[in-house]
Amino acid sequence: MTAPAPLLEVKNLTITFPTPGGTVTVVDDLSFAIRDNATLGVVGESGSGKSMTSLAVMGLLPPGGRATGSVLLDGEELLGRSERELRRIRGERVGMVFQDPLSSLNPYYTVGLQIEEAYRAHRGGSRRAARAVVVEALERVRITDPARRADHYPHQFSGGMRQRIMIAMALCLEPRVLIADEPTTALDVTVQAQILDLLRDLQAQTGMAMLFITHDLAVVSQVAQEVLVMRNGSMVEHGSAEQIFSRPREAYTRVLLDAVPRIDDPFGDLRRVSA
Amino acid sequence: MVGYLARRLLSALGILLLISLFTYVIFFLLSPDPAVLICGKTCTPDRIDQIRGTLGLDQPFWVQFWDFLRGFFVGRTYGDGASAVSCPAPCLGFSFQTNRSVTEMIETRLPVSATVALGAAVLWLLAGVGAGLLSAVKQGTWWDRGAMMFALGGISLPNYFVALILQYVLVVQMQILPFPSAVPFGEDPVRWFQSYLMPWLVLAFGYAAVYARLVRANVLDTLGENFLRTARAKGLSGRLILRRHALRPSLTPVVTMFGMDFAGLLGGALITETVFGLNGVGKLAADSIAKNDQPVIMGVTLLAAFFVVIGNVIVDITYTFLDPRVRIATR
Amino acid sequence: MTTTSAAEDSILSVRGLSKEYVTKGSGAFGGRKHRFLAVNDVSFDVPRGRTLAVVGESGSGKSTTARIAAKLIEPTGGTLVFDGQDVTHPDARALARFRGDVQVVFQDPFSSLNPKHTVERIIAAPLQYQGIRAPQGTRALVRDLLDRVGLNPDHSGRYPAQFSGGQAQRIGIARALAVNPKLVVCDEAVSALDVSVQATVINLLRDLQRERGLSYIFIAHDLAVVRQLADRVAVMHQGRIVEQGGRDDIFDAPRHEYTRALLSAVPTINPEWDRARASMIAAEERAS
Repeated sequence: MTAPAPLLEVKNLTITFPTPGGTVTVVDDLSFAIRDNATLGVVGESGSGKSMTSLAVMGLLPPGGRATGSVLLDGEELLGRSERELRRIRGERVGMVFQDPLSSLNPYYTVGLQIEEAYRAHRGGSRRAARAVVVEALERVRITDPARRADHYPHQFSGGMRQRIMIAMALCLEPRVLIADEPTTALDVTVQAQILDLLRDLQAQTGMAMLFITHDLAVVSQVAQEVLVMRNGSMVEHGSAEQIFSRPREAYTRVLLDAVPRIDDPFGDLRRVSA
Repeated sequence: MVGYLARRLLSALGILLLISLFTYVIFFLLSPDPAVLICGKTCTPDRIDQIRGTLGLDQPFWVQFWDFLRGFFVGRTYGDGASAVSCPAPCLGFSFQTNRSVTEMIETRLPVSATVALGAAVLWLLAGVGAGLLSAVKQGTWWDRGAMMFALGGISLPNYFVALILQYVLVVQMQILPFPSAVPFGEDPVRWFQSYLMPWLVLAFGYAAVYARLVRANVLDTLGENFLRTARAKGLSGRLILRRHALRPSLTPVVTMFGMDFAGLLGGALITETVFGLNGVGKLAADSIAKNDQPVIMGVTLLAAFFVVIGNVIVDITYTFLDPRVRIATR
Repeated sequence: MTTTSAAEDSILSVRGLSKEYVTKGSGAFGGRKHRFLAVNDVSFDVPRGRTLAVVGESGSGKSTTARIAAKLIEPTGGTLVFDGQDVTHPDARALARFRGDVQVVFQDPFSSLNPKHTVERIIAAPLQYQGIRAPQGTRALVRDLLDRVGLNPDHSGRYPAQFSGGQAQRIGIARALAVNPKLVVCDEAVSALDVSVQATVINLLRDLQRERGLSYIFIAHDLAVVRQLADRVAVMHQGRIVEQGGRDDIFDAPRHEYTRALLSAVPTINPEWDRARASMIAAEERAS
């Protein structure tokens, strides 16, 4: 059985930042691959390097950041590309959704305009033509009355609705890969459930590959088929979700799983952590 | 929106009334008897009483203040019979020194101050916003350092000092410009421009420095915003990101500052007008204070207050157009 | 809505608590006033030596409730009885005593610790405000407390920035314990922490309760965390308590529709995988 070629492949990715005290490595020799219609969950605590990894894929590392190794999109190398070439890939071939939807949207412009400019940056065309795309994109993320809502500003929406708008914006060009960096962390639990549902449905419709970054193991168990556990910039364990959650091999993975508070199990595994 | 506007204008009117009361109280309580001032050296007690009667100075405070307000809104008449002097609305009284109508004095001086303010505003907006943008976008380069050195100079050097240096260099040493004297535009446009150029430069220098620093700080703040990262992740071009996403949030606060600064200047640039001998409202204020010419002081104070209060209202209304969050909150 | 019948055994009883915010329109002559009830007729009891958890989503009024309970803000209506004393409108002396008996641990450990003060000064500050002299001396007390919350007592001269988030939260807990309070209000005290750190802080809070007989009001949005800590649970929604009761009653047999929706939305690890892991652990333990 030959596996289909991965859509996004990261090989030996290392990210460094210069500091006055010398070079700091925030991601060290990380490799993974994602195929069509599959979701890879990257789990880690703060400082694990999971968000830096997603920014490196987009070529959006903060100033000074340097990525080495290889990031292949459909077999094409992305590292070392010029800003102009990367710009054509961002949004068009890789979409991205961030943690805090309120600060991730510009408060001065309507959500319609912010989706429209994403579309027109790549496909051009008139504003009128783009308008149809905007309405359709909002409709797809289940925003009611999309034609009217497109003319509203971000602060006129609830947190969950704003994240839907971010998703609509990331997917309006139908990229093959979606990077979701803690997309539900800032949301209430009932809203989180809706957003996770939405992402699953959209993936089923489009067959896109998803890189889902989170600190929440329960969330990752619901969306990912494959899980990569990170700690201090390095990979700890990588396997199918079923294997990671039912037969974790590494001690750190076990510690993480033990630490997850269970709603159905009072005073359960948490006891073990202090030991 | 209409309700908001009405409320704002109503409260502005209230504030102006309070200011006029406050100013009136100060002059009523603190100044020497105006009748003595007007009467001059060859004075008799009868004459003083007569002046008091004509000006209403023998009336209690509230009556005087009421007469003043009424005079402003509907006009008033001083004295009676043949010697009556009428003062049409908006009446601010007559100068103790020259006996001219204060309203007229301000009317002739205002165009000069407005010209000074307008020209300087154009210059400082261009220079200040430009320098601020340049140094933010090219942060850490020599452009940045140069612009910030310029700004530091503008902030730390006093107005009159810059004015004197400029005058010495351009007029005395290089003799590029004539000594400023307000020539009307219609008479000789070139001379007009030459005479206003130095006041513009001097005023603009100080303001531009403050604006450059403000704009730079705002742009740098905005560049760190999450929505800028979103804009990059969408694949927008660097120019569009800067123009659409970074500039608007950075420049909106500048509107507030500009509104207040410009309104303040319309009430007269006291030092600059005095140094360059321009007969604007600022110089009028300086002269009248030196001579304790109460009606004139009262008039220019109210004028300045009027501009600031109205400027404030205009800024707030402009804001509802610039910031959708404010617009929706005021609905 | 039910309250405990054994009200005499409550450290804190609140009845009919409400908090109204009025926002005024702009301009000197005002605009339309908007009234907003952040907390609406809330009553509960905190059993002595136990934990009452108040759960809810953003905007539910749970944090406002916590702040009223700690007397950080004044309620618009209702009464508070602490340890048998009415503290709704306390005089200066009663308020000072209340401040010593009730302490608060906040969500963001760093922003609630003065970055320019040493840990010793931070932990000892409540003692100073209360005018309490530690019998064995301040330094010894601080070392004691640091040791108790699992930090190195030799680090009392360090500054907050030199600690991790979990450690900083332990400093916040040590500060709360310094004046030997009876009730600690934890306002999302573990929400900002990484999961492995969160678990150890939860365990610490539990141990401290056992040792010192502390009572907790535990404000949280994370129901799974609440299940680990609470004896009683009050579910808040839009300013009201929609349901309250014993922990297992709420979690196993929720009656209110909103409680059910909230519980079903909590993401869980696939129970099959969890069971498989439990049997793997059991097998490993038998083998060793």
